[in-house]
Amino acid sequence: MKDKLEALLREGAEKIRAAQTESELQQVKGELLGKQGAITELLKEIPKLDVSLRPEMGKAVNGVKSSLSEQIDARREEIKLKASEISPDFDCTIPGIAPKIGGLHPITQMCYDLNDAFRSMGFEVFQGPEITSEHYAFDNLNFPPNHPARESMDTYWFEGHDSGEAKDKLCLRPHLTGDSVRYMQTHKPPYRFVYPGRVYRNETTDARHERAFFQYEALIVDKDLTYTAGKVMIKSILSKVFGQDVPVRMRAGFFPFVEPGFEIDMGCLVCGGKGCSVCKHVGWIEIMPGGTPHPNVLRAAGLDPDEYTGFYVNIGLDRLVMMRYGVDDVRLFHSTDLRFLKQFR
Amino acid sequence: MKLSLNWIKDFVKIPDDMDLSKLAYDLTMSTVEVEGAEDLARRFDGIVVGEIKEVLPHPNADKLRICRTDIGDGEIKEIVCGGSNLEAGMKVVVACPGAMVRWHGEGEPVEIKNAKLRGVQSFGMICAAVEIGLDDLFPVTDDHEIMDLSAFDAPAGTPVAKALELEDIILEIDNKSMTNRPDLWGHYGIARELAALYDLPLKEFRPYAPDTNEVFDVRIEDTERCPRYIGARIEGLGVKPSPFKMQSRIWRVGMRPINALVDITNYVMLAVGQPTHVFDSENISDYIVVRRAKEDESLRLLNEKELKLSTDDLVIGDSEEAVALAGVMGGAKDSVLPTTESVILEVANFESKGVRRTALRYDNRTEASSRYEKAIDPERCDQALSLAMELFAELYPDMKVTAFNDQYPNKLTCAEIDVDFDWLDRRLGMRIPQEVVARKLGTMGYKVEFTESAMHITVPTWRSTGDVSIKADIMEEVARMYGYENFEASSITTSFTGAINQLETDLIRKIKEYLAFRCDMQEIFTYPWMTDEFVNALIPDTSDILKLSAPPAPNEKYVRCSLLPNMCKAIVKNERNFDEFAVFEEAQIFRDADYSENYPPEKLPYCRRHLACAFVGRSDDVATLFRRAKGVIGQMPSYTHMEALTFKKEVKPYWADDVVWLNIFLGEEKIGDLALLSKKAALACGIKVLSAVLVEMDMEALKPLRSRTNRFTHLSEFPMIDYDISFLVDSMVKWDDIYAAIMGKKNELLRDVSFVDEYKGKQIPAGKKSVTVRLTIGSEEKTLTGAEIESVANSVIKKLSKLIGAEVRNA
Repeated sequence: MKDKLEALLREGAEKIRAAQTESELQQVKGELLGKQGAITELLKEIPKLDVSLRPEMGKAVNGVKSSLSEQIDARREEIKLKASEISPDFDCTIPGIAPKIGGLHPITQMCYDLNDAFRSMGFEVFQGPEITSEHYAFDNLNFPPNHPARESMDTYWFEGHDSGEAKDKLCLRPHLTGDSVRYMQTHKPPYRFVYPGRVYRNETTDARHERAFFQYEALIVDKDLTYTAGKVMIKSILSKVFGQDVPVRMRAGFFPFVEPGFEIDMGCLVCGGKGCSVCKHVGWIEIMPGGTPHPNVLRAAGLDPDEYTGFYVNIGLDRLVMMRYGVDDVRLFHSTDLRFLKQFR
Repeated sequence: MKLSLNWIKDFVKIPDDMDLSKLAYDLTMSTVEVEGAEDLARRFDGIVVGEIKEVLPHPNADKLRICRTDIGDGEIKEIVCGGSNLEAGMKVVVACPGAMVRWHGEGEPVEIKNAKLRGVQSFGMICAAVEIGLDDLFPVTDDHEIMDLSAFDAPAGTPVAKALELEDIILEIDNKSMTNRPDLWGHYGIARELAALYDLPLKEFRPYAPDTNEVFDVRIEDTERCPRYIGARIEGLGVKPSPFKMQSRIWRVGMRPINALVDITNYVMLAVGQPTHVFDSENISDYIVVRRAKEDESLRLLNEKELKLSTDDLVIGDSEEAVALAGVMGGAKDSVLPTTESVILEVANFESKGVRRTALRYDNRTEASSRYEKAIDPERCDQALSLAMELFAELYPDMKVTAFNDQYPNKLTCAEIDVDFDWLDRRLGMRIPQEVVARKLGTMGYKVEFTESAMHITVPTWRSTGDVSIKADIMEEVARMYGYENFEASSITTSFTGAINQLETDLIRKIKEYLAFRCDMQEIFTYPWMTDEFVNALIPDTSDILKLSAPPAPNEKYVRCSLLPNMCKAIVKNERNFDEFAVFEEAQIFRDADYSENYPPEKLPYCRRHLACAFVGRSDDVATLFRRAKGVIGQMPSYTHMEALTFKKEVKPYWADDVVWLNIFLGEEKIGDLALLSKKAALACGIKVLSAVLVEMDMEALKPLRSRTNRFTHLSEFPMIDYDISFLVDSMVKWDDIYAAIMGKKNELLRDVSFVDEYKGKQIPAGKKSVTVRLTIGSEEKTLTGAEIESVANSVIKKLSKLIGAEVRNA
C-alpha cells in the first residue's frame, strides 16, 4: 500500500503539471481527489488494514491528499496568470489606427526648416508686402531705368498703376530683394534677417517655370564683413536642408543689386561631384545667386556704403524642394492637388 | 555663345598642354559660365579620307555603284554607294564601321556597320556632306551628291577632322552670364580674360591708316544715338566664297558662311564683338546719313514688303531714302548682290537702348542688335576696322580703299576710380600683393597709378559703358582674378544683444502647425489672381479689386481681395478625388483702397494677411462639418496662445447659407466669417456634390499673448459626478438658450454643464428635438449622497421646464 501511495503521489504530480487549462486541471483533480478518485479509493481500503497500521497509513494518505491538493491549487494559479484573455485567433497583423494629421505645404516645411536654422544663428524673420512700387522693386536695387525686368513682359503691373513715376507704379513683386530695403529702413544696423516669400514673373509656364514661386532671402549687414562670410552662411543652410555637409563654390555672377555678385553652386549630391545627368555632368548644381549689396542699395537703405557692407543669399525654395524630394514639375506646388500635397506628411 | 579655342589662340597663346577642363573651370569661376566644351574632332571619329580607285557597276541595282576605295590601310575596300558624282580619282569621305552618321541628314546619328547592300558586301559608307553635318560648308547642287574632298591636300586614310582642320574645342558659354559684359561677346574679349587669368600676353591690333585722301561723305545727325561712324568705300571686290578656313570658323561657332563679303563682316563680329556691315556702293546714292526716321517713312525690305518706321528708329540712309535700321537689319537696298564689285564698309557705334527698342519693336533681334544692346564702346570700332581691312586685303589682293571717313563726334569718357588699400583689404579680408593687383588689372586694360595708400584707376573704354564705375567693381575684378577659391572663409563676427522675440511671426506659424497637425487639415497654395467665375460667385462688389494690366489669362485679371474664390477652385479640383477633406491657406489679400505710406515715397494699397479654411464633406452631414469648423477656430486661441475668439451673428457673408453662418469676433472687432457655402454660390463655382463650410479671417488682427494664461485651480478632494439628462425641446430652441437657462441662478453644487448631443428623427415629435446635456455635480466639502445629486438634477429639470418648456425624455 505504501508503494501504491508513493506511485500515486509521483503520477499525480506529473498529471497536475501536464494540465494546460483549468478544465484539464479540474479533470485531474477529479481523478485524484474526487468521490471515485484514487485517494478516496485508498482511504476506503484503510479500514481493511490491521488496526496497528491504520493510524500511520491514514496519516500518510491524508498527507498525500493535501500535497496533491496544494499542487493543484498552485497549478491553477499558474494557469490563470499564464493564459491570455483573448482568443488565439486575434490577428496582430491588422494595421494600426493612425492619428488624423494633416500637413503643411512642402514649401512651408522647407521654409520653416530654414527659419529654424537662421533663428539659431540669430536672424530675424521678416515679411514684406507682395505688391510693391517700381521704386522698391527696381530703383532702390540699382536696376538701370531701361532694364528689361521692368517691362510688362517680365513683371505683372497693375491696371491704372502702370505708368508715371516709379513710386506710383505698382506690380506684384518680381523678387524679394526689395523687402531687404524695407527692413533696413525700419531697423537699426547691424542686420541679420531672412525674408521668405512668394514672387511673380510674367512668363510662360512649363515643368521648370512658374509664374508664382517662392524665394528665401537672407541678408547680413555689418561694418567689417568680407564676402567669404556669405560662404559660411550658405554652408550652414545647405547642411540644414540636406542633413550633411555640402561642398559649395562661389563664382562670378552678375545681378544689378550686388557688387561683386556670385552664382553659388553646390556639389551634386546624386553623383558626389563625379558628374551625372542631374548636374549635367559638371558635378555642380547652380542653386542661388548672392553677393555684397551694391553701394546704391545700401544708400537706398540709408547706410553709408563706405562704412557698411554685407552679404545676400537668395535661395529658390521651389528648386530646393524639388531637389529634396525629386519633384519633377514646379507647377504642382500651386496645383492645390491633395494627391500631391498629402505625400509630404 | 559658342567660341572656338583655336580662334581664341589667335589672340592669346594658351599653352598646348593646358588642361581643357581646368580652363573651362577657371573661366566659369572668374568670368562666365562655360556650359560645355566639345571636342569637335570627336564628331568625326572613324571618318577618314578615301580615294576612289575604280567605280564599278552594281550587279543588282542601277542606281548603286561599287567604289573600290583606298582608305590608307594598305588594302582596297569595296564600298557600295549611290552618289551621283562618283569618279575614279576622287577623294571622298568614308565612314568606317563604328562611325556615327545621320542617314541622309535626318534622324538621330546611327552607327555604321559592315553590311550587304543588294547582295554586295560594303565596307562602311561614302558620305554626303549632310550625313556628317557639314552641308553648310559643302553645299550641293543635287541631293545625291557625295562630299568631294579632292581639293584638299590630304592622303587617303587621313582623319577627316584633320584633313579639314576641324581639330578644335568649342566652348559653349551661357549668354545669361555675360549680359553685363559687352566686351565678352567675341573671341577677343574672352582671350583678354584668359590672358589676365594666366598672365599671358594678349595680341594687339595694328591701327588701320587709310591710304586715300578722298573723304567719304558721312553725316551723323543724331550723335547721341550714333557716337561714331566709320565709312569706307572699297573697290576691286567681287562676290565669291570665302576661304575654307574662314567658312569653317564661322560655321563651327554657329553661323552660316554666305560669301566672302558677308563672311568678312561676320568673322569680324565674332572675333571682336563689333558688328560691321557692307552696302553695295552702287546702291548708295551720294552719301551716308545716320538719322532718325521721318514721319511716315518706310523701309523697303528684301521680300518687297514695306516696314513702317517709328520716328524713334535710327536709320542709315543715303541722299534718297532709308536703307537700313541702324544696328538691327538692312533693307532691300542694303544687300550684297551677285554683281557687287565695290562696297561701303560700315563700322559704327550705336547707342544700346535705342537699338534694343527698335529690335523689340519689329521683333527682330539679330546677332548685331543683341551685341549693340549690351552697350559696346565706340573705341572697339578701331579693332573691327583693323581686322576687316586685313581680311579684305587678304581675300582681295587687288582691293583699294577709295574713300574713307571716321566720324567720331561723341567721344567716350573713361571712368576713373580711386580705391584705398585699407578699404580693399577690409572688404577682401586679406591683402593681395600690389604687384598682383597691378598685373591683373593691367592685363585687363586698366591704367593704375599707385600712391602710398591708394590707387587711381582709369577704366578701359570697353568696360566704361556702365559695367565698371565704382570701387566695388574694382574689388570684384581683383578678387575674381586672384581666384575666389583662394580666400579663406571667415566666420561671421556680428554680435547681437537680446533674444529675438517675434510674437506675430511665431503666431502665424503656430496657427498653421495647429491646423495641420492638430486639426487634420492640409495647407495649400493658390495664385494671387482669381478666376472670374469664382469672383462672381463669391464677391458682390468688384469695384475695389486690383486688376493686372497683362493677366496670365483674360479671365484672371483680378488680384485677390479674399482667399475664398481660389479656395473654392481648390475644392472643385479635389472634389473629383476625395469626398471628405479640409484645407487651409494663409496669404496676403489686397484692395484698391486705403493706400498707406509705410515706406515713403511709395503708397501701397490695403494689404492684409488672411487665413482661409474649407471643411468639405458630404451634404447629408452639414452639422458635423459646421461643428468641426467651429471647434477648430474656437480652440485655436488656446493652442496658439492668443486672445480668445467669439462667435456672433451680425452680418451674413454674401456667399453664406441663410441659416448656417457666424461672424468671428476678437473682443468687439469682427475679424472674420465662418459659414456654410450657399447652394447658389456652390453651383456657380462648379462644386457639384459636396458641401463646404468656409472660414476666412484676418490674421493681422489676432493678438498673441506674451506668455501662457492658463490658471491653476485646486483639485477637489471629493468626487465630481457627471449626470446626463435628455430633454425634449422645441426645435428652434438654441443651445445658448439652454445653457443660459441652466447656468442662471444655479445651485452651487452644479459645477458645469456641457452639450452632449442633439437628435431629431424617429421617436421625436415633429417640431421638437432631443438635447442631451451633461451636468457636473459635486461639493468641495463632502461626498454627495444619491439623494443630494438627484436634487440638483431635479432643480435643473424644473428650471428648464419653466423657462423653455423642456420635457425630460425617459429620464
